[in-house]
Amino acid sequence: MAIDCEDQELLDGFLAETTELLEKLDDDLISLEKSPEDADLMNRIFRSIHTVKGASSFLGFDMLVKVTHKTEDVLNRLRKVELTLTPEIMDVILEAVDLVKTLVADIKGGDIIERDLEGTIAKLIPYLSENAVEATVLAPVFAPKEEKEAAPPAAPTEPAASQQAGEAAPAEPQPAKAEPKAESAPKQVAPSPQPKPQPVKEPQKAPAKGGEDLADNSTVRVDVKRLDDLMNQVGELVLERNRMIQLHSDYQTGLNPAEFGDDFGKLSKRLNFVTSELQMQVLKMRMLPVEKVFKKFPRIVRNLARDLGKEVDLVIYGEETELDRSVVDEIGDPLIHLIRNALDHGLETPEQRLAAGKDRTGTVVLSAAHEGNQIVISIKDDGRGIDPDRIARKALDKGLVTDDQVAAMGTREILDLIFLPGFSTKEQTTDLSGRGVGMDVVRTNIRKLNGIIEIKNELGHGSEFILKLPLTLAIIQSLLVEVEKEVYSIPLASVIETMRVSKKEFHMIGGQEVLKLRDSVLPLLRLQRTFGCHEVYTDRDTCYVVIVGVAEKRIGLIVTRLLGQQEVAIKSLGKFLSNLPGIGGSTIMGDGRVALIVDPIGLVGGAA
Amino acid sequence: METALTKVKSEEYGGELIQLVSFNLEKEEYGINVLMVREIIRMLNITRVPNTPHYVEGVINLRGKVIPIINLRKKFDLMDTEYDKRTRIMVMEVVGELMGFIVDEVSEVIRISEKEIQPPPPVVSSGIEQECMAGVINQAERLLVLLDLEKMFSADERRLFSNVA
Repeated sequence: MAIDCEDQELLDGFLAETTELLEKLDDDLISLEKSPEDADLMNRIFRSIHTVKGASSFLGFDMLVKVTHKTEDVLNRLRKVELTLTPEIMDVILEAVDLVKTLVADIKGGDIIERDLEGTIAKLIPYLSENAVEATVLAPVFAPKEEKEAAPPAAPTEPAASQQAGEAAPAEPQPAKAEPKAESAPKQVAPSPQPKPQPVKEPQKAPAKGGEDLADNSTVRVDVKRLDDLMNQVGELVLERNRMIQLHSDYQTGLNPAEFGDDFGKLSKRLNFVTSELQMQVLKMRMLPVEKVFKKFPRIVRNLARDLGKEVDLVIYGEETELDRSVVDEIGDPLIHLIRNALDHGLETPEQRLAAGKDRTGTVVLSAAHEGNQIVISIKDDGRGIDPDRIARKALDKGLVTDDQVAAMGTREILDLIFLPGFSTKEQTTDLSGRGVGMDVVRTNIRKLNGIIEIKNELGHGSEFILKLPLTLAIIQSLLVEVEKEVYSIPLASVIETMRVSKKEFHMIGGQEVLKLRDSVLPLLRLQRTFGCHEVYTDRDTCYVVIVGVAEKRIGLIVTRLLGQQEVAIKSLGKFLSNLPGIGGSTIMGDGRVALIVDPIGLVGGAA
Repeated sequence: METALTKVKSEEYGGELIQLVSFNLEKEEYGINVLMVREIIRMLNITRVPNTPHYVEGVINLRGKVIPIINLRKKFDLMDTEYDKRTRIMVMEVVGELMGFIVDEVSEVIRISEKEIQPPPPVVSSGIEQECMAGVINQAERLLVLLDLEKMFSADERRLFSNVA
């Protein structure tokens, strides 16, 4: 069924608002479970659902109305303390919210698909059954189930009816229920009023995906203040442009040629100032609080913990930390995998924890913070930690590494094995883990973001995964270098230091050129050779070494000369040239030429 | 009545007449569907990209967009020559990506009828891979090789493109 909505704007508004409400709702519901007596929270949840219901009935989305209405009723009883919140009730409410999300996603997708609402509604209804106000609808114990069967044929009228029913106009639903009663009688046995784990599981999975799609990435909400600032800056820019045009025409007519240089100098300074302000503003507009990603985790953790039979406290810090949209979009998946791992592999069951002398409840700390021009996200658990021996054994068993390789590895390298595709410590593949994909996803996504992963591990006391990500991907500070007349740009974030050295100071160790740097030995890489540049300067005996670091690895890149530091906008090389080793992208220089951006990760990986 | 019929026919078959941009490579004339060609520009500064196949000349800045440049001479294993003032870059959209192709000279846009396109001869001597030849056009004074660049960048080759090190 296609959506018949005359006012597209209205629909867009509805979708945007609903999406936002639903996102918040998940979070609130989880908080509610922790503090059920928080009346404000309760009211907020109630209001959100109510708003969604109102808006959807206004726009005629019957299915949505039906689900939200029943959810609202249950919430209402909770609010009036006629019901006490149990995990079972919460499961059902969450399932209903998921269903709502799926329905909204359908609407957003442009097509309303008939979905099975009845299963979820049936689970909601038992919690209404002792309600005096709605007794007429639900008084007999079997009634709720009948209602469930009644709903599909009566779809168009039902929402209106049940809405009234909520306000105690109970006569109407009755006839609707009466007819299907007979034919559906045998089926009534199947759905049990108490939500069993099995039926819960399946509907939960599918909508969860829908919920993710729901996150709206096509539109942005921007603070009006920021928009005003931006407008001001653009105004400035227009003025400067006018000034430039004026200057040029003055120059052409031969007015004051002597002052031209001076004026032009001033102009470019101002232009520089305005553009960098503008850049900051736009960058700020693209920034999103990391909360957008974090807020779905309490829900995930709760479900996982229940599935795994573990007790987990999720503590979140720094969710207000802002980072670029592109980064926010990419870190969701890796974080889910890391959190899953922390719960599944890291934390022990309550019994094991007690036996190990720990608290029954495990803690997972998810935190985000700015550090220089990086954002640091950490996932820390107080579980059993990672056992390097076990990792090494598993990797050997799976044939991912050889004995010799393992023997040569330090603890750190062994821990890094968990990122190998196909690696898993699980004997059996479950729907939660064991395929050996998760950590590979983590690594791939973090690499894509030019980020760094660090693992801190303490056997028996837990482990911590630290992700260091750049604030933005679009514009970076870079060091411009010349390699035999070709210009390359190295991301400044990975440059540790630069030095001028004489070629005589290079040593050879096992076919690898190295440089003695203070008390360490630094492997060297001649960019000229790696990139196959024609050697132009053969007679020079000094050159520059740019020391770059990726994670714990350091390497010196030999370049002909340093050209300076510049802020560059990264341009993709297109899909044909996207996988070049050691090249991360390109940028356009002041003179319009293209300069390639060196990808230190690729180089360090290749050299090690 | 008859005009109406032909119109329907021409719409159905994507037009009986097709327009080709003709260009030269080593004195041979080639044609390419005009709809593929975005623009034709003069030689620019090309930035070499390391570790790519030899026929990838590098990348250029096309009004703020970085696009790869392919030397068709090298691609077809023809003798490499110096660029001169007639050398052009034909910017085309191949499988959804903009790409530039260096050719010796771009001559004109010609209209031909689809009937004039003959299948390519079984043996091709000039080193052009058989698969990127869409056909041969035999007009009174000239012989035109019709190229299909989409085929040239078959999935296989595209993968190679990025992995050749």
